[in-house]
Amino acid sequence: MKKTIALLLLIALCVFQYVRTSSPDQDPYLTTDYSRLHPVKVERVVAGKEEEQLVRLVKDAKRKGLKVSIAGQRHSQGGHTYYKDGIVVDMTSYNKIIEVDSDAKRITLQAGATWEDAQKAINRYGLSVKTMQSLNPFTIGGSISINAHGRDIRNGSLISSVDSFRLLTADGQIKNVSRTENAELFPLALGGYGLFGIILDVTLDLTEDEVYRESTLLMDLSDYVDYFQREVLPNPAIKLHIGRISVADDSYFTEALAKNYTVDPSLPLDKYNKLESNEKWVAPGKLLFNLNRSTDWGKKLQWNLQTYVFTRQSDHIISRNNAMRAAYEFMDYSQPGANDQLQEYFVPLDRFDSFARRLGEIVKEDKLNLLNVTIRYVGKDREAMLSYAKDDMLALVCLFNTPLSEQGQRKMKDSVQRMIDEVIAHDGSYYLPYIAYPTLEQFQTIYPNYENFFEQKRMFDENELFMNYFYANYGSGRRIEEVAS
Amino acid sequence: MNVKWLIRSQSVATLAAGMIYPYYLLFLKNLGNSYSKYGLAFAVFTISSAAVSTWLGPRLDKHGTRIMVISSLGMMAAMFAFPWTSSYTLVLLLQLIMGTCNAMQRMSERLLLADSTEFVSRGITIGSYHFWTSIASGFAVILGGLLIDWLTINALFYMSALLYGVSAWVVWRASRASLSRKAEDTITF
Repeated sequence: MKKTIALLLLIALCVFQYVRTSSPDQDPYLTTDYSRLHPVKVERVVAGKEEEQLVRLVKDAKRKGLKVSIAGQRHSQGGHTYYKDGIVVDMTSYNKIIEVDSDAKRITLQAGATWEDAQKAINRYGLSVKTMQSLNPFTIGGSISINAHGRDIRNGSLISSVDSFRLLTADGQIKNVSRTENAELFPLALGGYGLFGIILDVTLDLTEDEVYRESTLLMDLSDYVDYFQREVLPNPAIKLHIGRISVADDSYFTEALAKNYTVDPSLPLDKYNKLESNEKWVAPGKLLFNLNRSTDWGKKLQWNLQTYVFTRQSDHIISRNNAMRAAYEFMDYSQPGANDQLQEYFVPLDRFDSFARRLGEIVKEDKLNLLNVTIRYVGKDREAMLSYAKDDMLALVCLFNTPLSEQGQRKMKDSVQRMIDEVIAHDGSYYLPYIAYPTLEQFQTIYPNYENFFEQKRMFDENELFMNYFYANYGSGRRIEEVAS
Repeated sequence: MNVKWLIRSQSVATLAAGMIYPYYLLFLKNLGNSYSKYGLAFAVFTISSAAVSTWLGPRLDKHGTRIMVISSLGMMAAMFAFPWTSSYTLVLLLQLIMGTCNAMQRMSERLLLADSTEFVSRGITIGSYHFWTSIASGFAVILGGLLIDWLTINALFYMSALLYGVSAWVVWRASRASLSRKAEDTITF
């Protein structure tokens, strides 16, 4: 009897697990990206290894009429790295450091190298990256394809620190691209979402590694912009900055944390510049973040703990390279049928308060599960054709947990479109590496250069060899619903 | 020794092993860049397991339960150590220890099973033993997956270490009870 019960219990558990994990986002034979949405069958995934191999691959694909998509760590969420029945070039194995020129403060590396690889290569020379995301697992090629930005408030978006790169274009040619050579491709391929060719290697301008003192202040959200404009921007000693907005019930969109990294030249770099791992408390962090995803009291606990830990860390001393490698493993999430999805909205400083208020209201009205909101500053930078930094902007990076079901996604899409209407009303922009929720009209309103961008795409790649869902949705002239179906 | 204790202790040990085993393979594969390197780690495991068995054989009859306790404690130590390994050589060393523990566990398990059963009624006990250890393994794998989803693979290693600790304790307690029974029997005679 006992045995039958035990066996039945195990069988029942297996059936439950089977049903629980049978959603399309869990199908190992389909390809998707970080969003786990819209999984499709691709022709094949090819690991990039040699330059000649990639040239051959592009020529072969062209001859056979296959589409090519380019993938790094696949952290973009809008199908930028794959296309149905196409070839995915996985660049993560194309990752050598080619040269560090410490005198000129430059590094040249293959596009599949990550920021972590770059940091390891340059740290010993007392050098540091100018602009990158807050986290370091992303590939350089992927990051410049989305023209990333991060905690640095002095160096604009990533495009500003790119000196040059080599691009394998649709005709199988390799072109040197810089602001002086093949210059027309520079603002297109950077922030070009993989539509102009395979970025092979990149030369980045670097800056000096420095020693910072961290300081975190808890304040009313309504005081944040004023504080940022009066205390942070005019103080040249503050090099990095990040803000956070509370999503906990009792301080919802009313409390904020502002974290500054202020350079302290009196502290010797060699005492603090050993590269440290930030992944020290992954298991409790992951558990806490899971509680944050699942419950209101979890959100409260997370905010209170963050406030406590960050404000206690004030005066913590850290090198620039260590400050630019924040922990991220605690956010790993693989539950079937739901996922974390990012949205990022940029608004000019003087419109921030009003926009943040509206954002908070929409999230509440639509009952969205908002896990955290961080604030980053990015200075005006219109160099990339699809530039989001039309002005000096504050970016609100919002992480939502959403169901992947059709109904759940429809709801999320409606809410995002509402938020983007507010973005438009506040002269802002939204970031393009995320899910194709915005309507075509919203995209075209916010990125008025779109026509030129896509025309140039078709000029450099007339057969639309380089293909992905971003282009299919917003550039190919097809309606989003058609592409999605 | 009462066979129930053997089944319980080894079900807990199987729970600990089953929880880690499939994910441990993934962990090892991530360490090696080639399948050959991954294969080597397993070869080391089997070599130490085979080598130690020839030494253990003659000592098994006398120290069966002790060997079983040591095998669980050894596995506990290995599970605690795994998340802290920072080189492939250390992984090989742990594979070596785990191979040794595996030989200790397998051999003492068979011995104790044989000791606790008698001709004619052996099949039922062996069937029962196999059933409960297999069921434990089934629950373990599912639980292991959930644990990694919610926590980390490191947490899984620690959980497995704790379970090995429990299994060592269960065997140790049973062996003490059986020793004191033997002592009582001696006095009676």
